[in-house]
Amino acid sequence: MAEELSPADIIAESAGPKGAPPQPAANGDGADVFSPRLAGSKDMIVTEHVDKWFGDFQALDDVSLRIKEEEIVVILGPSGSGKSTYIRCLNRLEEHDAGRIVIDGIEMNEDVRALAAIRSEVGMVFQQFNLFPHLSVLSNITLGPQKVRHVPKLEAEALAMQLLERVGIPEQADKFPSQLSGGQQQRVAIARALAMQPKIMLFDEPTSALDPEMIKEVLDVMQELAESGMTMIVVTHEMGFAREVADRLVFFDEGALVEQGTPEHFFTNPREERTKLFLSQIL
Amino acid sequence: MSEQPPIPRPDQRPLPPAPGAGQRRIVLPPHRQRARRPRSVRVREWVRKNLFPSTAGTLLTLVAGAIMGAILVGVIVFVFFGANWEVITHNRWLLFAGGFPHEEAWRLWVSIAVVFALIGAAYGTWSSFGRRDHLFVLVVGGFVIFLMAHGGAAIWSTVYFLIAIGCMYLGYAATVWMPRETSTLRTLQQRIVGGLLAISLPIVLVILLVGGEVGPRHIDGFVLNLILAPVGIVGGVLLGIPLALGRASRMRSISLTCTAYIEIVRGAPLLGWLFVALFILDDVIGGDLIIRAMVVMAVFTGAYMAEYIRGALQALPRGQFEAAQAVGLTPTQSTRLIVMPQALRISIPPMVGQAISIWKDTTLVTVILPLRELKGNADSAIAQFEFTPDRIEAYVFVAVIFWIVAFAMSRISQRVERAQGVGER
Repeated sequence: MAEELSPADIIAESAGPKGAPPQPAANGDGADVFSPRLAGSKDMIVTEHVDKWFGDFQALDDVSLRIKEEEIVVILGPSGSGKSTYIRCLNRLEEHDAGRIVIDGIEMNEDVRALAAIRSEVGMVFQQFNLFPHLSVLSNITLGPQKVRHVPKLEAEALAMQLLERVGIPEQADKFPSQLSGGQQQRVAIARALAMQPKIMLFDEPTSALDPEMIKEVLDVMQELAESGMTMIVVTHEMGFAREVADRLVFFDEGALVEQGTPEHFFTNPREERTKLFLSQIL
Repeated sequence: MSEQPPIPRPDQRPLPPAPGAGQRRIVLPPHRQRARRPRSVRVREWVRKNLFPSTAGTLLTLVAGAIMGAILVGVIVFVFFGANWEVITHNRWLLFAGGFPHEEAWRLWVSIAVVFALIGAAYGTWSSFGRRDHLFVLVVGGFVIFLMAHGGAAIWSTVYFLIAIGCMYLGYAATVWMPRETSTLRTLQQRIVGGLLAISLPIVLVILLVGGEVGPRHIDGFVLNLILAPVGIVGGVLLGIPLALGRASRMRSISLTCTAYIEIVRGAPLLGWLFVALFILDDVIGGDLIIRAMVVMAVFTGAYMAEYIRGALQALPRGQFEAAQAVGLTPTQSTRLIVMPQALRISIPPMVGQAISIWKDTTLVTVILPLRELKGNADSAIAQFEFTPDRIEAYVFVAVIFWIVAFAMSRISQRVERAQGVGER
């Protein structure tokens, strides 16, 4: 590589296992950067050369990314850059057209049982919450465990109350989603996803539909979750969260993975022009 | 707490005491203050604002008032002085149950009592009787009792009817008194009452038809309307759900079949399908004309219900399907637990419209098939020599009966909508 090493490269390099070849810190060609705390963790998500087309529009263009167990990855990018499409491919809300996706050792393919196994390991939180409006908060959370994992009702309810406790709104258990504020709804959505006891949590712009005063309560829950050792992939524009919580930032543009690196790297010395432009617009 | 008087804020002078408020100073916001004025003033203001706001408004009020007054006077004169209601009271059994054997009449009363009790239980479970509901029961009940008591010889019918109304309030009281403090108990109660409602139609048919000397051909008069319409409505919804799902299916063969069914059935009027029942279905399913009419009613209603449900399916946000997937539900579970409950809720208003429509269309079986429902038996009543001049009375009566049931359906559906939170998200 002819380029000069940036400070972030040096950080990443020094953090790598001793004797390992120096890793290029910020690139889009498939090599990944890991935080030192993840040394020795196994791969949780492996995507290789993933393509996704919507008709003539290429939403994902040769995306390769490896994510370690317990890693917190924040995906950045302008709207339409494919970041949501990417995480929606990870639980097959979208089917990828080419490449490989392996979740916790399970290959994503047409096999229905593999898909069921993947979905039970991957929880998802949506921008629009997507709570079930005809069910109470408690039933929203117990539905998955009862129907998919066949957990007895009382046990599922006890777990749901525990999770509501964890996201800070146990008193709302008997209400319906429409009676809750946006922030409370999103916290219920997080609890609903956690009730399936996933190993991976996907967040698709979880705070974008929230009023400003409610963003923090959701981010706090996500931060607590991150500290508990969950593997998380977060699409967000919350730069504070990205800087403080993420192990790695990934920048998408026009369906391609343009640049990735540590938060320090991104906020001090991004390499690609497109990244710089995006960050200058958003910060 | 602090003993100091409150410090007046600089931007706001202390409010003057409200007149006559004495010690407690309750100052209402301006829009509430009006309500405190004497009633007579408020009435006068309401009248001026709503009836005589301007010259044109006054003119409209006077013209509309004159027309309504004339109609009201006409109706009162007809009902109380002009009409000869003998045609109804004399033929009440003919109109009510026609050829249903008198000695089996208990079957009708038991059925009515069961249905009334279930209506009461449903109200107790999902809603509550309001003053207007009691008024409706009082007026309609009084109307029916007046009819039965008139001319005597119907004491027992009156007693049975009162018992049936009593059953409705019993069902209501039972559900209201049942313990339901927790959501589990509430759900249990809803399951029980909902389950009973779901099987109420078969129960009624069993009570009416099993054992004894009665068969489908004895279902006659108003009872026939009361059986045909629910069969059509319930059968229609049961057919409509798979049809709607089928039409929305990605498998072409299924969606084409369902689309063809819906478009063909909707392409001809009910009248036409009743002709099919009369001339063609005999070879296909045979059986009583009544059974064939029931099949046609359900098949016809099903096509419409399917379209309402399909509309509701399309109105559901995509996120609901995705959330169900993400939670790990299978497509079947997602349809049963997430999609259908919401779609059915959204489609309640148009489905009730269709239900009221099919309720009135039950009269068509008289036009095409040699079946005699309420309107058909009214025709028979005025065909009797002594009642030929009273056909207006007979048809007004029939119209009022149809209106009462249609109105009750509309009211109940409003309650259901409110209880289910239609229109809320």
